[in-house]
Amino acid sequence: MILASGFFEDLFRGLLQGTPPGAVYALIALGFVLTYKTSGVFNLAFGAQAYISAAMYFKAHSVWGWPKWAALLVSVFVLAPLVGLVLERAIFRHLRTASAVSKLVVTIGLSVALPEIFNWAARFSAVAGRQITGIVPDGAGVYYDPFGVYRFNRDELAMMAVALAGTLLLAALFRFTMMGLSMRAVVESPRMTELSGINANRVSAFAWALSSTFAGMAGVLIAPRFNSLSSGDYFTLVIIAVAAAATGLLVSLPRALLGGLGLGWFIAVFNTFLPGLADDHTWLRPFQENLTPSLPFVVLFAILVLWRAVGRQREASDPLAGVDPPPPALAALERHPKLTLFTRLFGVFFVTVVGLVVWFRADVLWMSLVTKAVIIALIYLSVTVITGMGGQISLCQGTFAAIGGFTVFQMADRFNMSVLAAALIGAALAAVVGALLSLPVLRLGGVWLAIATLAFAFFFDAVMVKFSWVGGGSTALLTGTQVPRPLIGPIDFASDRAFLVLAVVALVVVSVVVIQLREGTIGRTLAALRGSEVAAASIGISAARARIVAFAVSAAIAGLGGALLAMHQQNVNYALNFAPVVALFWLVVVVALGARTVEGAIQAGAAFALFEPLILQGELLGWIVRGEERLPEFFPLSGNWRLILFGLMAMQFARHPEGLVEHGKRRSATRINRWLESREARA
Amino acid sequence: MTWVLEASGVSVAFAGIRALDDVSVSVEAGERVGLIGPNGAGKTTLFNCLLGILRPDAGRVLLNGVDVGGWPAHRRARAGMGRTFQRVELFADTTVREHLLIAERIRNGTGAFWKDLIGRGRPTPGEIAACDEVLELLGIAELAAKPVESLSLGQSRLVEVGRALMTGPQLLLLDEPSSGLDRDETQVLADTLRSVQDTRGYAVLLVEHDVSLVADFTERTYVLDSGALIAEGPTADVLADPAVRRAYLGSFEVT
Repeated sequence: MILASGFFEDLFRGLLQGTPPGAVYALIALGFVLTYKTSGVFNLAFGAQAYISAAMYFKAHSVWGWPKWAALLVSVFVLAPLVGLVLERAIFRHLRTASAVSKLVVTIGLSVALPEIFNWAARFSAVAGRQITGIVPDGAGVYYDPFGVYRFNRDELAMMAVALAGTLLLAALFRFTMMGLSMRAVVESPRMTELSGINANRVSAFAWALSSTFAGMAGVLIAPRFNSLSSGDYFTLVIIAVAAAATGLLVSLPRALLGGLGLGWFIAVFNTFLPGLADDHTWLRPFQENLTPSLPFVVLFAILVLWRAVGRQREASDPLAGVDPPPPALAALERHPKLTLFTRLFGVFFVTVVGLVVWFRADVLWMSLVTKAVIIALIYLSVTVITGMGGQISLCQGTFAAIGGFTVFQMADRFNMSVLAAALIGAALAAVVGALLSLPVLRLGGVWLAIATLAFAFFFDAVMVKFSWVGGGSTALLTGTQVPRPLIGPIDFASDRAFLVLAVVALVVVSVVVIQLREGTIGRTLAALRGSEVAAASIGISAARARIVAFAVSAAIAGLGGALLAMHQQNVNYALNFAPVVALFWLVVVVALGARTVEGAIQAGAAFALFEPLILQGELLGWIVRGEERLPEFFPLSGNWRLILFGLMAMQFARHPEGLVEHGKRRSATRINRWLESREARA
Repeated sequence: MTWVLEASGVSVAFAGIRALDDVSVSVEAGERVGLIGPNGAGKTTLFNCLLGILRPDAGRVLLNGVDVGGWPAHRRARAGMGRTFQRVELFADTTVREHLLIAERIRNGTGAFWKDLIGRGRPTPGEIAACDEVLELLGIAELAAKPVESLSLGQSRLVEVGRALMTGPQLLLLDEPSSGLDRDETQVLADTLRSVQDTRGYAVLLVEHDVSLVADFTERTYVLDSGALIAEGPTADVLADPAVRRAYLGSFEVT
């Protein structure tokens, strides 16, 4: 009996404790659903929007010393809606007819670029250890205890009050205003709305402004719960939003609200009871330490995989889109033979010159950078397989690479195994994980598949990495996850030059494999599936089988690349190399430059590793103007510019899914083709 | 008599509304059968049940005497069901010949993954010859290297037929092949289908709106109305049936 009353008291406390964060999650989920419903955009940049407001609030209040109400007004009620309006007006309005997946990629680019644009424009830099204070005076210090089981502080009360106010406002808006009615009409019967004279652009602009305000409000409210302001932390907010919103299949506002609250309660109750259970059952202990931060990811993954309705839901393309998407741009399929010969010769020449320069002139730093570029290019080939050939967005390529890296570390550390053999085992292991992961998520459509892989990446990041048999556990904290360089007979790859050769050989081998796959059965099968799934089935293609193969191959390539990167740096460096947010940037670079071709992957690898030192640091310009002292004053530029530039470039994915470089190449190829043909015709 | 397709007692309900009620259709080897009916009669639903895109609530579908009721669409395709689409479904970014090549490879089942890895996955001269033979039959050999985005609708339909032929079908299901085509193009399509049928010997089930095509092309016809069969038999008799005319509200004239 005592136990039972203690149990209910604990449960009640857990529920109370979970309500304030749950209220904020609900706010986020509402904002997320708003834009999804009215414009069909699965907005992964939602966390970035929240970050901007939180950072603006911090800047205004803590740095400029503005009063809280003024800081709040500017950050949440001026800046946030403005950001939403600009995004709608400048980007999403023009993407009405784009596919859901390409809009998702656009928001991924945005989520990388937006925080950095703000940081640059507002001269803001995240200060570690300095927390944001809440929006009410003395928020963390004054307590109220209405039920005698849990003490709410003022910040928490503010969270609940604001969330309640936001919900009521939204309900009133939908019920009593013309704009709300229009929005409901848009949701109910999209194509009819425009016919009945409702200005769709205005509705979607309003929805974006409102949603962005919700994001900003949630960003400011939740800031005291983070240790410092970082855009990476805010990115995880989006996972929470999706998890909460997924309970309403992303379209029901009331269920998104309940989902947010439910998530808050679930996490708090889980945290209340797990420690007690873990005391009794020691095997639970590592989970207790690791699972808590990752609960939203686990919940999201479980919802996606277990709830069959998610897979069945038709993908919302833009409900406002009045017409069907235009056919993709014509590819330059037939190239003039002379042009092909010329580009091949130029390629050989270019690679030879770069190779010679690197071989004879590069110092240790540049040798290392070039090696990194080669290895990253190899990893990018995994994106070429899954996205370029398979047409699917995977956001856990970093995790597959990390599996390769960690395998090498564990094998070398525990069994003193040859690292090259371990790299192959790592690639195989990554392939197995990729295939296993693909099984439950296969039936999910494009956007859901991307989100499931993202949830998996965060789960791996929060839980798996901390196990000693994966990321090294506490020993890794002391000594790092050290990986030796390989040794084959007399050749010691501890020499940077020798290792560069090894990396190049690996890149060439994998490139050849990827080209063979693309020209072979699996590549043609995937091309058919990308073109039309029903038509592919009508000639006997099994979508599931082809996709499992694509996932496994892609994971194996990423795993091999991760293993090589770990050898190169002689350390796995998980947080720096493979964390989900870092891997998100990988994807951004490769889709920006070209995910369809092997050249695209190689160029993207070079861009990832060399853009900053070569261009932003002014090395190239310095060489051109002969002398660093002649460089303009603004050099060296901050490395964050690459986030902005590539983020913005990736946003072009909706229009040029083949990548900007590839697009430019095709365009000039058609021009040169025409020129060559006209010359032949004259002769 | 050998039945390629025997579907019996097929029933489907969507949210309590009967879309198909105890419908039975069968197609003999080499036969040309039509399936007509006004809008909303359940033609597409029946089509999807036959192809394995939709699972019927009740009823059996036999293909060459084998119960394929639990098979997914791709398995039925391998077992001899070819199809075309009402709204053309081609693979973007590929050429006409490549459409046929992949179908040929899948039919032969020679596309093992390890072969791709060692570079043995590229099309063989034999496969290319087989594809070009079909393109020749369809009279679109000159389009072989064209990207499909540059084709007209009539040509696209023929590419779909060619792709379906590469799977070696015993039964070709044509979903409103005349939609979007003018009278001449429809005639070309019908003539081509008939002449190719002579050499390849498949049966055809034609779902169609255009009654004149059905009258011209098919030997036997089923008529669906409100989810139930209201008539079946030799096409000429069926089209002369007053009940059928009533279902169409006199919307066609048989000449």
